[in-house]
Amino acid sequence: MEPQNREQSTALSEGASNGSNGEGKQPSSVLAPTEAPPRDRRKKPRIRETPPTPPPPPRLDDYEPLIGKAELDELRFLAQALHGKTVKMVNSTAVGGGVAEILNRLTPLLTELEVATHWDVITGGNDFFEVTKAFHNALHGGAYQLTNEAREIFLLHNEQNRARMRFDEDVIILHDPQPAALIKSKTDNHQRWIWRCHIDLSNPHPEVWGFLRPLVEQHDAAIFSSQAFARQLSIPQYLFYPCIDPLSEKNKQLDASFIQQVCDDFGIDRSRPILTQISRFDRLKDPLGVIQAYQLAKKYADCQLVLAGGSATDDPEGAVVLAEVMQAAGDDPDIIVLNLPPWSGLEINALQSASTIIIQKSLKEGFGLTVTEALWKGKPTIGSAVGGIPNQVIHKLTGALVHSVEGCAYQIRYLLTHPEFAEQLGKNGREHVKENFLITSNVKRWLLLFQIMMGIARQ
Amino acid sequence: MPSQSSSAQTPREPSEPRWAQTPFYFNSAEHLLRIERERASTLGELLAAIKTCSDASIFQHTFRTLQEHHFIQEGYSNDFAHWTFFACNENGLAERLSGVDVCEFISLQALRSRLIEIMEEYLGQQPTIKDRMALEPFYFCASTSVVVPTAFVARNMAEFAEALEQISVHCVHYHFIEARLRLKLNSNDFSMWVEEQMGLKRTAELINRIDIYTSTLQGVRNRILRIVETALA
Repeated sequence: MEPQNREQSTALSEGASNGSNGEGKQPSSVLAPTEAPPRDRRKKPRIRETPPTPPPPPRLDDYEPLIGKAELDELRFLAQALHGKTVKMVNSTAVGGGVAEILNRLTPLLTELEVATHWDVITGGNDFFEVTKAFHNALHGGAYQLTNEAREIFLLHNEQNRARMRFDEDVIILHDPQPAALIKSKTDNHQRWIWRCHIDLSNPHPEVWGFLRPLVEQHDAAIFSSQAFARQLSIPQYLFYPCIDPLSEKNKQLDASFIQQVCDDFGIDRSRPILTQISRFDRLKDPLGVIQAYQLAKKYADCQLVLAGGSATDDPEGAVVLAEVMQAAGDDPDIIVLNLPPWSGLEINALQSASTIIIQKSLKEGFGLTVTEALWKGKPTIGSAVGGIPNQVIHKLTGALVHSVEGCAYQIRYLLTHPEFAEQLGKNGREHVKENFLITSNVKRWLLLFQIMMGIARQ
Repeated sequence: MPSQSSSAQTPREPSEPRWAQTPFYFNSAEHLLRIERERASTLGELLAAIKTCSDASIFQHTFRTLQEHHFIQEGYSNDFAHWTFFACNENGLAERLSGVDVCEFISLQALRSRLIEIMEEYLGQQPTIKDRMALEPFYFCASTSVVVPTAFVARNMAEFAEALEQISVHCVHYHFIEARLRLKLNSNDFSMWVEEQMGLKRTAELINRIDIYTSTLQGVRNRILRIVETALA
């Protein structure tokens, strides 16, 4: 079956392409329908046409109901010793991407704690960002031919940024490889420079890593997101898990009525179990494997599968994968495929909140923040044992780790037939996130690191 | 430290409220994880690394993991046992490693020696499994700890109970579990203070006897509270 025939994608295209009642409108996206959908679960469009105005960032006190006063007091105590100290964060983009998202929350919280934190973004031309994109892929293990020209472009743009920037702060943190050559400004012995690596360096391109490594090792410390992502370095390496903001649209507590409304709009039947995978349409997320697991489990349990991901319109491969997903879904009315625009945080949240089980059956993964989101919502979660997922899903304790389609199918069946066990996994998973993967834990790690690096910690 | 020999011989707890000469200051500890150089892909490599890793690594993978996963009652109680089972499928060794009770150790060196002893004995009996590749490597980490004072102070048992209800579970871990390494005694800060400052030897013993392996840290806190409330009644 062609993807255009799937009613769910039809609905989403309409929702994304116009803000009014999408009934009968001609959608503009790649998933536009060419014929009437086979059935109509949808009542009205549910996706906002344009991004909403972001709410102001939360203040520290807003987190108290979630983490408790004692935890907040600890943050304030740790910050006290750092009052008057200054910090600079440097990365390569102010919007989009996980790093910018974290810095958007982290910077105001540190500043509220009176650790003055300044966030600088480096600039560069297309040639620079083409090189850094290629470096990024190569550091993830992709094939690449490192040329002298690429080296020069990288160093030249770093040099230009270095010339326009000042580095007067007590601690300078450079995020990811793009600004790594700014380390050449390190002169003051009392100043501390830290390299925060958000990417998986477990299998880097040898030449690219060989080029970057001498820059990295001039820092006073490096930070990685998982033990498995780190390299052997001559400088201390710290482990900072990525984090989610429990007050963001994607993670805040929603009204039951809103969750119901979203399910109604998407044609999701809440009287039957809902399995959900949230991820972009990418082969590495194995959406076809998820469908197979669902089909195996469906023989034993009447359930629905929701596959919801980001828009694929600007990603040719994503569109191909989405088409494959639609084909694999066939005419099963219980497989609901949703191609959502990037500003669908509330809808994603509602889908996760309504789910019976959340799946992340990736073949390769970074840290896997969608897993963190699922665990935070107290949902029994099935995740592949790849990337940072085992840091979050401890088998049979905070979720279920799987290695195959069959394993995933079995865990679906088991959790659906053992709701008390599933509920306990969900509870443990939420506690695990509360302890380790919230923005407040991230703030605490930074404060500890600043204290340790400046030699003011009482150890 | 002052000894309360008279209270040690008293069969019943004193019923009058008593004020401490030295108040109990509740602290907590926060930990930053370092990624260490040691890695293991086989049980043989794990044993070799346990022999050479830092004390901070032993602390991290035993004491600290208990704190990080304080909300879980089931499963293996330290990272070595967990990895031995889930990555090496050696349930027998995992059970033995898991049986190591950190509360029995007042030094990390002694704890390390016990872990080595268990592994050497097991691998000696089954030498063929020593070099079998694990499903995933074991990455050694270590903690850098920073002591964090809290606002809570107790000068009598009522204040002690009130504070116990409000402190974080990290504070419970610091005083009840980590304290053994600091005190070099098979006791904990709570029991020491309750006995020395409040003269409640029996209450101190009951607190010290709480099994941390069959309860969450929240559960430990609740049990301490019940014991303290009984003493107050």
